Amino acid sequence: MTDHGKSADPVEKTLGRARILILDDEPIVCKRLKPAFQKAGYEVETFTDSAHALARVEETRFDIVITDLKMEGVDGMRFLSRVKELSPETGVVVITGFATLDTAKESFRKGAFDFVAKPFKLADILDTVRRIEDKQRLDAELRVGKG
Amino acid sequence: MLDLNGIRDMFAFWRPRKPPVPFAVQFKKFEIILERNNAILELMADMGDKLGGEYVFDGQYIVSACERLGDLVFKLISDLSVLTQRKNVDLFLAFESIQHQIEEELAGRHSFPNASLTMPLEELNRDVSEEAGNKLAHLGDVRNFLGLATPDGFVITSKAFFDFMAHNGVTRRVEEGLARLVPPGSSGSQVDEAGLDALSQDIRSRILEGEVPRPVAQQIAAMLDVLAARRGDKATLYAVRSSAWGEDAEFSFAGQYESVLAVPPAKVLEAYKRVLAGAYSPEVWRYRLHRGYKESETAMAVGCQAMIEAEASGALYTYAPLAQEDEAVVVSATWGLGAPVVDGTAETDTYFIDRCGAHAVRSIEVAHKPVRLAAKAGGGTGLVPVEPEFQDVSCLTPERILRLVQTAMTIERYYKRPQDVEWAFDAQDTLFILQARPLNMQPREVLSCPNGIRGAADAARNAEVIFSGKGTVVQHGVAIGKVFVVRTDEDLAHFPHGAIMVTHHTSPRYSRVMRKAQGIITDVGSATGHMSTLAREYRVPAVVNTGVATSLLKNGDEITLDTTQNTVFRGAVHELCRFELTGEESFEESAEFRLLRRLLKRITPLNLVDPHSEQFKASACRTFHDITRWIHEKAVEELIDVSERHWRRSGATPKRLDSVQPLGLMVIDLDEGPIRAGANQKDMPAVAQEELTSVPLAALLTGLTESGMWSTDPMSVDLGSFMSSFTRTFSSASAAPGKIGRNLAVVSHEYMNLHLRLGYHFNIIDAYISERVNDSYIYFRFLGGVTDFMHRSRRARCIAQILERLDFRVEVHGDLVVGRIKKLPPERMREKMLVLGGLIGYTRQLDVCLRCDEDIDRHAEEFLQRITPLLEVRND
Repeated sequence: MTDHGKSADPVEKTLGRARILILDDEPIVCKRLKPAFQKAGYEVETFTDSAHALARVEETRFDIVITDLKMEGVDGMRFLSRVKELSPETGVVVITGFATLDTAKESFRKGAFDFVAKPFKLADILDTVRRIEDKQRLDAELRVGKG
Repeated sequence: MLDLNGIRDMFAFWRPRKPPVPFAVQFKKFEIILERNNAILELMADMGDKLGGEYVFDGQYIVSACERLGDLVFKLISDLSVLTQRKNVDLFLAFESIQHQIEEELAGRHSFPNASLTMPLEELNRDVSEEAGNKLAHLGDVRNFLGLATPDGFVITSKAFFDFMAHNGVTRRVEEGLARLVPPGSSGSQVDEAGLDALSQDIRSRILEGEVPRPVAQQIAAMLDVLAARRGDKATLYAVRSSAWGEDAEFSFAGQYESVLAVPPAKVLEAYKRVLAGAYSPEVWRYRLHRGYKESETAMAVGCQAMIEAEASGALYTYAPLAQEDEAVVVSATWGLGAPVVDGTAETDTYFIDRCGAHAVRSIEVAHKPVRLAAKAGGGTGLVPVEPEFQDVSCLTPERILRLVQTAMTIERYYKRPQDVEWAFDAQDTLFILQARPLNMQPREVLSCPNGIRGAADAARNAEVIFSGKGTVVQHGVAIGKVFVVRTDEDLAHFPHGAIMVTHHTSPRYSRVMRKAQGIITDVGSATGHMSTLAREYRVPAVVNTGVATSLLKNGDEITLDTTQNTVFRGAVHELCRFELTGEESFEESAEFRLLRRLLKRITPLNLVDPHSEQFKASACRTFHDITRWIHEKAVEELIDVSERHWRRSGATPKRLDSVQPLGLMVIDLDEGPIRAGANQKDMPAVAQEELTSVPLAALLTGLTESGMWSTDPMSVDLGSFMSSFTRTFSSASAAPGKIGRNLAVVSHEYMNLHLRLGYHFNIIDAYISERVNDSYIYFRFLGGVTDFMHRSRRARCIAQILERLDFRVEVHGDLVVGRIKKLPPERMREKMLVLGGLIGYTRQLDVCLRCDEDIDRHAEEFLQRITPLLEVRND
């Protein structure tokens, strides 16, 4: 983690805003998702280039990651794996225009929370992210309970 | 006109034509055609739905949806070729042409389908901004779509610009000059300044001394003649204004291009050249280079509009700069022409007005205005003294202020961007919009301030939620306003400007208030209804089917509707509105949405509406919808032909319907197997009404019988017409089966495709009623009549009115009425079929008794009154 990441995290935490990273090589997807999540109270960063997004998750932790599958360079599957490796509690939503049963299965095997076919409704993805948060809260409570 | 083929077709009836393929195969094909037909309509509707903003889609979706659609349409044509055993060359050619246009669009090459050199303002809208330039394209929307007054005029297109530049050898000069100044690989900001000044000088003088190509000059002269004739040959002066690519869009170029005012017709060409030359002033050129604008993206369309004899004019910002006033509109005004206001060279009256609610005036600052700018009789403008008693008087009355602000807010609502509007009132008190462009709100500043993103999220968190997450979002957006509950048609007439419409159900009748409504919330209704289409077209934030709207919201409640979160908040949550207005780009203006809109223009419009028109032919198909419609028509014709002539060999089971009314109906039940080999009847077997298992057909016939409307003698019918019509029907019913009118129902348990010609009244009803609500639909079409055209079109309007009241989506074209409804539960669908049954009976002779337009309402009311008890009984 870089200094930047360390100093940024506590600030965000005190404000209680979940942080979302969105990765899709088509700018329109980022353009639509960003304001919707901002308005719902999230801190949002968007990337259209998977290498940049990868660099970002290496330096800081996100609560939620939304990623496309088919991209130039590092594809969504590898990105998903790396994110879960770095931070297993991050909830990852895979969004794809080429939904097949196989890719869905593989995504779940690699730890994705949900697999959403494009086009999707904004309301639905917001809902998915809320469900991730609920689960994360529950997990945190369980951890506290055990400890 | 009959050619040899036509004559051959005429006599084809007499040739004993054997069915070339087994009947079972033909039926199968017919079924496939209907299925594919519906799949195509569904996919088209689906693509249209994506324009509302609720869905996140990407470029890949657009490509694959177009591929799927193209594939379906191609297969549909192939199906028809098998069914009719014809090659359908014209149809394939039409398909290829549309497919080619779609591929060009997808490849990012917008063909100039309209290669005109000039275009009248009434043909302009945002989708022709390539041809007309941004400013005039937007003005086209303002005039043609929002229905606001703009000065009459036309645009000299960017095509004319390219022609002019090439004709005078300027294009090459520009390229060569720039290549010298900006070495390849370097950025535009490192340009040789002195060299650019010299190049600018050279290019401008070449343009000013250049020759307007003859075709361009001729087109301009012709347009000026048309305008002069329309204005009663008054000596008109013109405003000649820039309308460049990109102007007023991502880069404002505000005030940097040239406009020439009060130009007499003889000097329009000269002014045209001045405006073209203005595109190459050193300032504008530098601005372009610094912003990385490519030279190939420079195109100067030029607007030419009649001058308004302005009493007062000025400028308006729908959002006053934040530091100055919160949530206010600011207006600057002066007497006479508005140029001094825009240039900042004149003292102006300044008004601050509330953006929301009743637009209360907050402050008025009246300036001393000793002079005004006016057009001179022979051309040009000059300052003239203002009469002493007006020099220190506000140049806007409260009524005009209100009208001005309401109008500007209508424009803002549509573009979802704060607007910078230039306006003028003439002596006849007409408010003209001279220009409207997005006001650059400096989004970064706004968003970094505490009132930005967090403000919106916090405000939403702190506001009281009236309800949330209910129903279906139709159009994304934010609306702040007072609730106005619409219960009756009279309510529509009193709908206040800027209110939020709350109703029980969706209805196409609400199109009347689309330009006034800030938002729409309904209890019931579907996202695919006509009203939803309208809401998307007018970009009115809308949510339907909430179930609770009319019970939770009362007249006059101030609310904030945010359909992007599908939430209704109590009170005005301005932060949400500001968040939307200052966002990076409204989704409607993003490249993907623009592309989808352009593609849909080649896909969804329906030009082939009247099967009896000469234009109803394969070669006239201009969209995929046209092709689909044409094929449906032909497939049904083919099936009727074959069934009538070859029923005995058919392998299917056509049966004559023993109905209460003499319908002469042949029923083919697709669920039943073929006639057993042993059956060797001479006459067609019969089926009784009670034996029918087809849900839609049974409901329709029940409606026809139980409404008692078939035998009704409409009140004011004259006996002669009625008798003749009756006789005709009667005689056709009593005639031999072979000569019965072409009345055919192809049915299954859930499906019905009915062709019913009664006298000259022709109904087609295609219906599918099933538990699968999403697949259910009714398509109703009505055409024909014996009386004169006025009577007939009154009847069409009467039917349309009735269908609309029943929440059908209706199109009327002269004597043709098309009504559609879909996605309702089976019991509601059966109810609609009952009504249609009654309607067929009721309207059979209706044309003869519709003597004046008032009769339309009266008969529509009477029908609805008489049909209602039938429905209520059934509902119990």
